[in-house]
Amino acid sequence: MSEREIAGFLATVPLLEGRDEADLTELARVMRRRTVPAGDVLWQQGGVAREALFVVEGAVSATLQVPGERTVEIGRVGPGQILGEIALLDGQGHTMSVRATEATTVLALGRLDFAALLGGRHPAAFALKRRLAALFTARLRDQLTHLAGSLGGEAAELSAPALADLEQCRPPDSRYMRRMATFHDFDPLALWGFLTSGTYVRCPPGRTLVAEGRPSPAYFLTVNGAVEKVIVRGDRRIRVGLAGPGKAFGYESLIDGVPSPLAAVTRERSVLLVLARDHFDELFHKEDAVARVFLEAIQRDLLASLRQTLRPCARLAASV
Amino acid sequence: MCRILAYLGEPLPVRHLLFDTDNSLVRQSYSPRMMNTFLNLAGFGMKAWDPASLQPDEPFTYRATTLPTFDRNLRFIASKIAPTCLVAHVRGVTYSGESVVAETNLHPFHFAGTRVALAHNGHLRRFPSMRYALVEHVDPALAQRIEGTTDSEWIYALILSQLDDPYGVPETRELADATAAALRILRSVRDAHGIDTSSPVNVCLSTGRALVATRFSFDYGWYPPEDEMLETDLPFVSLWYAVGGEYADHDGEWRMTAGDPPRSLIIASEPLTTDASSWLEVPEYSMLTAKLGPDGLAFETRDLDV
Repeated sequence: MSEREIAGFLATVPLLEGRDEADLTELARVMRRRTVPAGDVLWQQGGVAREALFVVEGAVSATLQVPGERTVEIGRVGPGQILGEIALLDGQGHTMSVRATEATTVLALGRLDFAALLGGRHPAAFALKRRLAALFTARLRDQLTHLAGSLGGEAAELSAPALADLEQCRPPDSRYMRRMATFHDFDPLALWGFLTSGTYVRCPPGRTLVAEGRPSPAYFLTVNGAVEKVIVRGDRRIRVGLAGPGKAFGYESLIDGVPSPLAAVTRERSVLLVLARDHFDELFHKEDAVARVFLEAIQRDLLASLRQTLRPCARLAASV
Repeated sequence: MCRILAYLGEPLPVRHLLFDTDNSLVRQSYSPRMMNTFLNLAGFGMKAWDPASLQPDEPFTYRATTLPTFDRNLRFIASKIAPTCLVAHVRGVTYSGESVVAETNLHPFHFAGTRVALAHNGHLRRFPSMRYALVEHVDPALAQRIEGTTDSEWIYALILSQLDDPYGVPETRELADATAAALRILRSVRDAHGIDTSSPVNVCLSTGRALVATRFSFDYGWYPPEDEMLETDLPFVSLWYAVGGEYADHDGEWRMTAGDPPRSLIIASEPLTTDASSWLEVPEYSMLTAKLGPDGLAFETRDLDV
C-alpha cells in the first residue's frame, strides 16, 4: 500500500472521521502495513502492548483465557476497526488474545504515535477522545449484554430518585481528591475546575441512583463510599463492578443516548459528585483544559470498567 | 497492610507457592503488584498441614521477623515439605516508630490447643479505642492467650469465641458462620465507638481440612483526613483464587490445570503469576469456603452482608 492508499483507507476509519487530509497523510507515514495468515496469533492476553492495529482486510477474533484451560470468544473485529488501544492507553497487559481468523491485513501504529494522536489541545484530539469514549461504551455494552444474557429474564424494575431529591452536601477537601490515583497527574487548576463543575450529594446505603433500562439522570463520581454496578434479574444478580473513591458511573447512556445497561446502587453511605445531563453534555463537547481533564477521567473509567467487567465474564465462563 | 496466601488440595511443595513463581508470596513482600505504596517487610509466618507427618492434625509452623527473601532456612524448609493445606502471610506495618515488629505479632495466629489458624490482610482503624470493648465478646480463656499488639489477633480470638467449641475442629459452615458473626460484632462495637472509616478485613482461616476466606471492608471509601494509609486503602483490598486440578509448571508457565471436580485451590492477595488468566478475583464483600473430601474439593462463594 502506498502512503496515499493508506491515507485513503484511514479516511474511511470511523474513529478518525473528521481528520483533515494533511493529518491523515502524516499518519500514513508512520504506519506499518502487515499481513498475517489465518490462525496467526497477533498477541497473547497479558502481553505488553506496543502498537494499535487498524484492520484493513480480513478479520480477527478476540478471546479471553479463563481458568480451567478454557478460552471464550468475546468478539470479532473487521475492516476499519481498531485493536490493542486499551492496553496502549492504560499501560497494562492486553485484555485478550487476538488471532486472525482469515488472512488479514493490518496497519500498525506505534505507542508514541498513538499517544501523539490523542495529545495536545487540537480539536481533532478532543474529537478522537470522544469517539474512543463511544467505542469503549459500545464494547462495554456488548460485555454487559453477554452477562445479562447468562441470567435470563427481564431487567428488574428499579426506580431512581430525581436528582433534586438527593441530599446536597459540601464539596470535599481538594487535598483528599488530589491523593486519588485517578487525579494524580492532572493539572491542579483544571482538576479544580472539574471538581467544582457539579454538585455534591450524600446518599445512604441501598439507594438506587441509576436504573437499568432507563436513561441515566447524570454522571456520578464517587468521592467517599462505594456504589455497586449490578445487573439484576429476579432474585439473581451479577455485580459487574464497584465504584469506590475516584470511580464514576452512570455515564454510558449520556455518551450514546441509549438507556443504561446496568443499575447503580450505593453499597456504603456515599458522597458523590453529580453532573446532570446538560452539564455533562456541555463538558463532554467543550475543548478547554477542564474538558480535557473530564474526557481523560471518563476514558480512564471506561478502560477500568472494561477490564473490571471481564472478571465476571471470566467467572461465568469458568463455571460453565 | 499485608499479603496472605492459602492452599488446599493435592500435596504441593511449599517452594512453588513461596518462591518459584514470578509473583510469589515472598516476592509480594518487597514488590507487591497490587499495592502501590506499601511493602510487607515486618515478617513472615506459615502453618502447613501434612497428613503424612507426625501428629497430622498439628500444623508445621514457621515464623520469623527476618525478610523472607533472605531467609535461607525458609528456602530449605520450603523445598522439603509438601502439605495438603497451607496458610502463609507476609506482614506489612506503617513506617512509624509506633509499629511493633515482633514474633508475637506474626500471622497466622494459632492458639495452643485450638484447631483453627488465621491470617489477616487489612487493619481496623482506631483499633486502640475499641480493643477493650471486644473483651466482653471474647471467651476469657482465649483473651488470656493474646500475646501481641495486633488487631488481627483479637479478630482471631473473637472468631474462635463464636464457635460452639473453640478447641474442636469446626465444620466449614460453622467456621464461616462464626466469621460472619465476628464481623457483625466488630460492626456493632465500631458503631458504639463512632468509628466509621474504612477498615479492610480480608481474613483466611483454616483447620487443615477446610478454608474460609473473606474479602470485606467496613465503611469502604471513608478515610480520616491526612490518613497515611489512604493511597493503599483507596482500592478495595484485593483477593484472588485459582481452583482446579493441580498447580504446576507447564513449560515454564505456572498455572492451575483444569479439574472437575476440583482438587486444589489457592487463595492469595495477588495472583502468584503475572499472567493472571488462570486466576479469578474474589468479589468484594464476599466469603469463600472450601473443604477437602474424598471426592475432591467442595468450594463456594457467597455474598457477605454484615
